[in-house]
Amino acid sequence: MKKVMVGNHAVSWGARLARVEVISAYPITPQTQVVEELSEMCADGRLAARFIKVESEHSAMAACIGASAAGARAFTATSSQGLALMHEMLHWATGGRHPVVLANINRALGPGWNIWTDQTDSLSQRDTGWVQLYCETNQEVLDTTVMAFRLAETVDLPVMIVLDAFYLSHTAEPVDIPDQEVVDVFLPTREAHRKLDVNDPHAFGALVRPDSYMEMRWQQQEAMDRTHDVFEAVEREWQRLTGRRYGAIESYRARDADLLLVTSGTITSTARSVIDRRRERGDAVGLVKVKMFRPFPTAALRAALSGVSRVAVLDRNVSVGHAGIFAEELRSALYDLPPDDRPRVQGFVLGLGGRDVTPAVIDRIIDAVREDRPIEREDLWVGVNP
Amino acid sequence: MSQLMIADQVPGDELMASGHLACPGCGAPMAMRMVLKALGPKTVVVMPACCWSIIAGPWPQSSLGVPLYHTAFETGAAVASGVKAALEMRGDRQTTVMVWAGDGGTFDIGLQALSGAAERNEDIIYCCYDNEAYMNTGIQRSSATPWGAWTTTTPAAHPESNAKKDILAILAAHRIPYAATASVAYPVDLLEKVRKAKAIRGTRFLHILSPCPPGWKYEDDATVELGRMAVQTRVFPLLEVEDGVTWRFTAEHAGDAVEPYLRRQGRFRHLTADQIEGVQASVDARWAALERRVANGT
Amino acid sequence: MPEAARSRRVPELAISSTSTLVTHTGSWKYMRPEYHDRVAPCNQGCPVGIDIEGYMALLREGRLTDAADLLLRENPMPATTGRVCHHPCESACNRRELDGAVAIHAVERMLGDFALERELAAPPVSPRGTAVAVVGSGPAGLACAYHLARLGHRVTVFEAAAEAGGMLRLGIPEYRLPRVVLDREINRIRAAGVTIHCGVRVGSEDLPWGTLLARFDATFLASGAHVSRPLGVAGETAIGVRAGLDFLKEVNRGGRPSIGDVVVTVGGGNTAIDCARTARRLGARSTILYRRTRAEMPAIAQEIDEAEREGVEFVFLAAPVGFTLDGDRLRAIECTRMQLGPPDESGRRRPVPTDERFTLPADTVLTAIGEAIDPDGLPLAGTGTAIPTDMWGQTARAGVFAGGDLAEQPRSVADALGAGKRAAIGIDRHLRERAGAPLEHREPDALRLGGRGNLSMTRWRDDDPVPRVAPLNEVVTYEDLNPAHFERANRHEDWSLPLEAAVGGFDEVNRGLDRPAGLAEARRCFNCGVCNECELCLIFCPDVAITRRNGHGFLIDLTYCKGCGVCVTECPRGAMLLTREGLS
Repeated sequence: MKKVMVGNHAVSWGARLARVEVISAYPITPQTQVVEELSEMCADGRLAARFIKVESEHSAMAACIGASAAGARAFTATSSQGLALMHEMLHWATGGRHPVVLANINRALGPGWNIWTDQTDSLSQRDTGWVQLYCETNQEVLDTTVMAFRLAETVDLPVMIVLDAFYLSHTAEPVDIPDQEVVDVFLPTREAHRKLDVNDPHAFGALVRPDSYMEMRWQQQEAMDRTHDVFEAVEREWQRLTGRRYGAIESYRARDADLLLVTSGTITSTARSVIDRRRERGDAVGLVKVKMFRPFPTAALRAALSGVSRVAVLDRNVSVGHAGIFAEELRSALYDLPPDDRPRVQGFVLGLGGRDVTPAVIDRIIDAVREDRPIEREDLWVGVNP
Repeated sequence: MSQLMIADQVPGDELMASGHLACPGCGAPMAMRMVLKALGPKTVVVMPACCWSIIAGPWPQSSLGVPLYHTAFETGAAVASGVKAALEMRGDRQTTVMVWAGDGGTFDIGLQALSGAAERNEDIIYCCYDNEAYMNTGIQRSSATPWGAWTTTTPAAHPESNAKKDILAILAAHRIPYAATASVAYPVDLLEKVRKAKAIRGTRFLHILSPCPPGWKYEDDATVELGRMAVQTRVFPLLEVEDGVTWRFTAEHAGDAVEPYLRRQGRFRHLTADQIEGVQASVDARWAALERRVANGT
Repeated sequence: MPEAARSRRVPELAISSTSTLVTHTGSWKYMRPEYHDRVAPCNQGCPVGIDIEGYMALLREGRLTDAADLLLRENPMPATTGRVCHHPCESACNRRELDGAVAIHAVERMLGDFALERELAAPPVSPRGTAVAVVGSGPAGLACAYHLARLGHRVTVFEAAAEAGGMLRLGIPEYRLPRVVLDREINRIRAAGVTIHCGVRVGSEDLPWGTLLARFDATFLASGAHVSRPLGVAGETAIGVRAGLDFLKEVNRGGRPSIGDVVVTVGGGNTAIDCARTARRLGARSTILYRRTRAEMPAIAQEIDEAEREGVEFVFLAAPVGFTLDGDRLRAIECTRMQLGPPDESGRRRPVPTDERFTLPADTVLTAIGEAIDPDGLPLAGTGTAIPTDMWGQTARAGVFAGGDLAEQPRSVADALGAGKRAAIGIDRHLRERAGAPLEHREPDALRLGGRGNLSMTRWRDDDPVPRVAPLNEVVTYEDLNPAHFERANRHEDWSLPLEAAVGGFDEVNRGLDRPAGLAEARRCFNCGVCNECELCLIFCPDVAITRRNGHGFLIDLTYCKGCGVCVTECPRGAMLLTREGLS
């Protein structure tokens, strides 16, 4: 069934198809439509779930953790300040190995107040141990939401789905909604292999001494390592059922390209159109879209970028004091390539706080990279009027 | 009956094991033990950071015979809300979900989540065992620390200058079905309150005074004695509040002078006679207000 | 940590796989709690040497038969003592500090009556060859005979009077001790294997001392003190002036002597009160003349109260100095007003005469200022007021023991019963030693309940039916208790016959407590010093280190006990001690 819907509702529909059992959320622009739609679904019986309307995002994540610890499928959604407030509990979810799924609608952090898109909120949670999956379209949002649960419950890690404020969250697109029976086959009811169970009582999360703490963190790392293959398998099955898959990364018109853009989120779509026009002119440019930020798809990116002479990373985010975050991650991933295969990686910080990234902006970036001008700094801030 | 022969009123089953890491004479395990006796094995405990995070034992140990979830300081009521929702979604309406939090996790950092849960009337029992300071971190003041007390952050030259927060009134103001105070020195009263709470649906709050030998600075053997003195001096009256409106005393309060109670504790050693008189006056005033509340119903 | 758990791989998250029992927190402690039963002050205070606390504990559990058995091991006549004893146990009772002593006398009486009603008695012991004579069947003689019989000796009691009982029968009025009660208790003593010959005055030609001493392996002298002390006032031989004890004996034998309308009794002890109340019952106006004040009266307070209720008048601070006679007929008693001076050797303030004189009209004056012994009729070198004995009751003459009012001891039924028991132990010890089969060495101190108590027969026999936990022979004071665990509960007061009925005859006045009230009163007992398994130690233990032991009492798991001492502090009854770790 196809339906035109905004990205936020695609999240809600994904959660509904996944038959989430406990939802706990706190309203924040631009996430609100997610929880409004879910509230309607719970109220009219389309979704059998307990919706805990908590008093903060911190409690939202805490409640999801509690529900997940007790064996239920738990879901929340937030943005920006809300995600930042959850930070402590994001760590708790991963250390406790709780397969919670969270949709984060990228929004800039204040002050000053800014409700528009910016990836710095989700990327600031880089080290919390969450799987992070960035989306480009509303279809991808719905599909990723369903797949996130399957992935999370397979590797016992929480998964964050990330989508841009307004460009996706409030933009309507036709979305194919898979049949519930199809999803039910793909994602059966969660059967937690350990949980808070009065018939098999255990304590969870007690003090762990230095002699064992690292072993537990190492196993988190192992689970992340495993996630690459598991995600691929999950996508393959989703493709079998729905015909759609996205990949941890996606190479677009990258063959023979001497310059590749690296993008994530909705900038990717804009970049695709720029590349299409340039290819028509015979310009050998392409792009690599990064969907999975954690675990970082190092091997795939090395394979995709090895031997390409120039790489331009478009970062709608920044680690102030250093660089755009995708760019810095990518540089470290490629560093071990043989020097001849190692592309020159140029980072561009742009679009912060929802500033428009137009095809013209991307064209100027490609031109600038092509000119091979000596540059003052590794990462250029695009369009800043100091 | 002329003696408190309480043996028959206390269930024999133990859901708390020896070998836990509470200090000698600690009131907190006494409280936990009685509460679990009343709740029974179909109980899930959610425990934000507090002394009990240590008492329960380091991994891979647990001193409890029921499931226990250790969680972050401010999240007791929220995690419990999630646990309860999950159990209900899976068709389990019998299991009691209990938060076991200290005064810091209740009066201070956890108050927002507690208020949220209470306002939503989550079907949980929230127990605050109150030792009147951040004891686990080494005796720092909390908003449960009484006026005049020494702590490491309120040194004797500048002791605690604020009155203890009236947490019971705060919870009662949420109009939850049941809120009560209790004391480790009155185990039967405590058991009765837990049993009563267990039979009610919605948010139930128990504020249990739990004297602390190292934090209050008294001999290890006097924990129950101090708990008793706190009640009999009316410093910590035993009360219950139904639906936020019906206030009731659940014990006789002799109205003993507070001075012996204060003098028994090193944390009040620096108090002058005038200051003790001031404490007495404030205890008397609070008691008079409580009596009015009990009489008026609000 | 168990080896299996250690060798296992660390799990992917902190999930428990064992309890905290792997941590032996007992290594933290530097103090160690221990259970030690100690001695209740009532037990030490009882001249009979009864395990009062023990039977109270059994009554708490509703075990009346066991309680009666325990009582009868130490006291052959509880229904009697429950009525007439001056109960120093109650003066010692720690509960006085809270809300009034336990009415021990009333509980004992209830239990004594229960034993009579159910005809409870110890199974008879088949006697060995040793024969013991007891001279006198008052409480000392009966107690000695009873205990000796239960120790396996053949005992014969010789009583000069027509019936057994001594002062219990002759001195105490029926309204205080119904004869049916006394008879049944004496019958139970007989049933224990005691032969009583009445109407035999030892030392007379019927049974000369030489014959008696030759026939028996040992002899206990308990013939009492029957010689009334004279007032030392001119005219006291006049008609109308008589010894109060003689008056009581006459009435108690069924006589109803003519005493006129106005009777004055001189004295302040129980005999004086008995005389005055008996005189009321014979229709007289009855007055007690006492040289000190009410506070110094040695009589049982309750008896004084009863006398007052019955209309006996009291003239305090007055002593007789003469009699006004009309011919040979008494008209009045002449008195001098006294005042209290400094304390005398008894600790009471000495009465000092003043110049003030007054007279009280009197048809009869009864003197009740004490009795002396008659040393002439005894097979011992004559002494003054009392027969000297050692602590076992042994006199200067080998094999001859003495006790009761004959000996140097307080003149009370309880002291007499205690002396009889003490002599029984002394005789048993003497005869065993003579036969070359002494009981294992037992010092008198080891047989006492507390430092000052009377001897315990169960300790002598070593057959205490009450389990004791590491007992210490120390008395528990009120400060040793934790009164917070005792709810206030009013003492149950005895029920008394209505006034008209009381004064109108010789029916028993004090009716004690019925069984439910007696059992409730028993539950007021603190059980000082003895664990009654209230479980407070177990309940308050923060470390769950205390468990019930099979059978009786508790176990402390020292593997986990941190030595906080909460159990010791909260023990309501001082049955636990905290000792320094490693120094025990």
